[in-house]
Amino acid sequence: MTRMKFCGISRSEDVAAVNELHPDYIGFVFWPKSKRFVAPARARSLKAQLAQGITAVGVFVDAPVREVAALLNESVIDIAQLHGNEDDAYIQELRQALSAPDAKSIVKAYVVKGPADIEAARQTSADMPLLDAGLGGGSAFDWTLIQEFDRPYMLAGGLEAGNVAEALSRTGATCVDTSSGIETDGVKDATKMCAFATAVRTWDEANRTTHTTNTKKELNMTNPRGRFGVHGGQYMPETLMNAVIELEEAYDRFKDDPEFKRELATLFDEYAGRPSKLYFAERTTRDLGGAKIYLKREDLNHTGAHKINNVLGQALLAKKMGKTRLIAETGAGQHGVATATAAALMDMECVVFMGKVDCERQALNVYKMRLLGAEVVPVTTGTATLKDAVSAAMREWTSRIADTHYCLGSVMGPHPFPTIVRDFQAVISAEIRDQMLEREGKLPDAVLACVGGGSNAIGSFYHFINEPSVQLIGCEAAGRGIDTFETAATIATGRLGIFHGMKSYFCQDEYGQIAPVYSISAGLDYPGIGPEHAWLHDIGRATYVPVTDEEAVQAFEYLSRLEGIIPAIESAHALAYALKLAPTMRPDQSIVVTLSGRGDKDCVSVARYRGEELSE
Amino acid sequence: MSRISQAFADGKAFIPFITCGDPDLETTASCVRAMVAAGADLVELGIPFSDPTAEGPVIQEANERALAAGTTTDKVFDLVRDLRKDVQVPMVFMTYANVVFSYGAERFIATCEEIGIDGLILPDVPFEEREEFAPLCAAHGLDLVSMIAPTSENRIASIAREASGFIYVVSSLGVTGVRSEITTDIPSLVRVIRENTDVPCAVGFGISTPEQAAKMAAASDGAIVGSAIVKLVAQHGRDAAPAVGAYVRDMAADAHNA
Repeated sequence: MTRMKFCGISRSEDVAAVNELHPDYIGFVFWPKSKRFVAPARARSLKAQLAQGITAVGVFVDAPVREVAALLNESVIDIAQLHGNEDDAYIQELRQALSAPDAKSIVKAYVVKGPADIEAARQTSADMPLLDAGLGGGSAFDWTLIQEFDRPYMLAGGLEAGNVAEALSRTGATCVDTSSGIETDGVKDATKMCAFATAVRTWDEANRTTHTTNTKKELNMTNPRGRFGVHGGQYMPETLMNAVIELEEAYDRFKDDPEFKRELATLFDEYAGRPSKLYFAERTTRDLGGAKIYLKREDLNHTGAHKINNVLGQALLAKKMGKTRLIAETGAGQHGVATATAAALMDMECVVFMGKVDCERQALNVYKMRLLGAEVVPVTTGTATLKDAVSAAMREWTSRIADTHYCLGSVMGPHPFPTIVRDFQAVISAEIRDQMLEREGKLPDAVLACVGGGSNAIGSFYHFINEPSVQLIGCEAAGRGIDTFETAATIATGRLGIFHGMKSYFCQDEYGQIAPVYSISAGLDYPGIGPEHAWLHDIGRATYVPVTDEEAVQAFEYLSRLEGIIPAIESAHALAYALKLAPTMRPDQSIVVTLSGRGDKDCVSVARYRGEELSE
Repeated sequence: MSRISQAFADGKAFIPFITCGDPDLETTASCVRAMVAAGADLVELGIPFSDPTAEGPVIQEANERALAAGTTTDKVFDLVRDLRKDVQVPMVFMTYANVVFSYGAERFIATCEEIGIDGLILPDVPFEEREEFAPLCAAHGLDLVSMIAPTSENRIASIAREASGFIYVVSSLGVTGVRSEITTDIPSLVRVIRENTDVPCAVGFGISTPEQAAKMAAASDGAIVGSAIVKLVAQHGRDAAPAVGAYVRDMAADAHNA
């Protein structure tokens, strides 16, 4: 993996941004003449905010040895990067001034103008040389000079998202350093940081098959229990560990079992109504005047949403495991209805936990679940919405495991749930792929889906992840806007955390308390996102965009009028972004929007949003 | 010998739990001092979390009250600094992974060392995820307490062998909270643990009466009581310390005599 250093970090906002992107190093510039200068006290405070695993580097220009040593000894920084005329004697003196010299590293920077500079860098007694185009001037030097350089080094100078892949290809550098390349008007820019990290990680994906460094991250790779990059894992109470392990073993046993696959395929076909249609939205396409819009009609499945795919898979698996009782959480009620349906079909007991607030805004689904024979337990703790329903279902599972399977509804929670749910939902992208090849003779240019936990999105993305020509866009619920507290856009506003069994991004406060989130859509009203999405975001393979209540409601109304299709308010988030994206694309391009569910359940709340109260 | 093992050195240990900041930190401080005076051998301090998935309603509500009162991790650290002026018994934090992770695990654990916290109980960090926190705890002289549940079965040996400080034996299925009876065969569970480690084990979840405390302590090395104490705090509010002290005195006496 290529290591990355983001240099010139001077503000808390910059630290927040690097904590998200997790470069290997960040740099504090202690050279007073730099416009990026930070005083030691400021660096100390920034370091305290820095995520674990990111190493802080101090950049110095001919500073007194004791000043450099003090910052290293105090662990404000772990690496000193020397940019002046420091010679080997200086480096030796610095090492002697360190209390734990083995734990610290010294980097010496060389401005490369010709072969003599390269030779000096080769011979330095520093732990690693840095080859630089100048003091933050930002211009790229002649990379051909260092193609033959034979010791590990850090490459700097003029690197930005647009040229770093080329630099890596041409120099073979294992560590890249950027500063002005991640700034706009002299200030660090989180978007450019993200673009840079994405460019490096994408290049790595394509070019590095083995790991050449021995970092902390790599050690985790030897224990890949349900990890997607740093995300995922199994952060569960001990009481449930054997249950999730038993589930993993059962899934491994049955997922490729011909009999299991045949039974599930039959259920999909004869009961759920698969394959679902791929509908060419001709009037929408004409109205928008850009890319062709196709709608993947998961709303036409039995029970009116994509949730049935996962539920049929899990219920069948639970049955094979000898379980007789299903429990589930639900937000909008779609997953609850699907679980109650599968339980009725397979003669299983069913209990659904639903936030009290959601019970009120989705009363029809509560009635349906009860009609189907399920018990619905309104959850009053916390915000009385989806996250509290998940917590309640987990608590219930710890008290009754032997006969009970927790039928989790999204690609979240502890391993193996994110993988199991994804695999059962992946039928969506498998079908899109076949249907698009049949209709258009080529893959779509973009696939859009709404993201709460992210099950319909991962299902829609999965078979395109290794098709770089297909843009994958997840649409998050921004609620009243990502600059307000009334939002549920996790990628836009959350940060890395551990909750509900997984490491991923979560909306939370500075102390890690999970934030009360808001969206008009009960199904997207969740403070986290599935770990595989967090990873797709990290590596830049998928893009996540926030969509507000207002935009979603407009799209809800738009599709109803133009195509005679009332989409779920969740799905309307994806559609809303498609309405913006399509006009920017060419008519020979195509977009697939997954309509994850139907909108009957949302008519009351959308009417209320528009100031109208509906009653029977 | 770590401070935690001292708690088990003179016979059975009685370990009370309290949620910090419920209803305010001053009450927590007076309750902790009352519990220590009443014979607590080790105190578990809960740092409140918005979504405590291993807790029953009593401690959930305490967490909500504490957070509503403005309790933060930093304020709990200050509470411990104050308590450590006179409290000698070992103290451990009980909280959730995200509270530690989001503070910066190293910064959190280093602060624990600095203020005199002896261990950490993280109910959502099982054996499989221990590596993320255990080396940091070890580096800063804290014990990362392992939990063993009635469902642990084939996992008991591995968990026990890695355990340090003490082992938290979960008495029953389900979440924390008062139970009328504990049906798990605790002596058998403890026997398997003892075959694998000398680390002491204390039983928690559902213990509220002196009889239960005595029974559980007799079957192990100590008894942990949480919800029953938190319930007293909920009933008595800012004046809870005398009631909590009196309760702990009865419970600790029976546990010690077990």
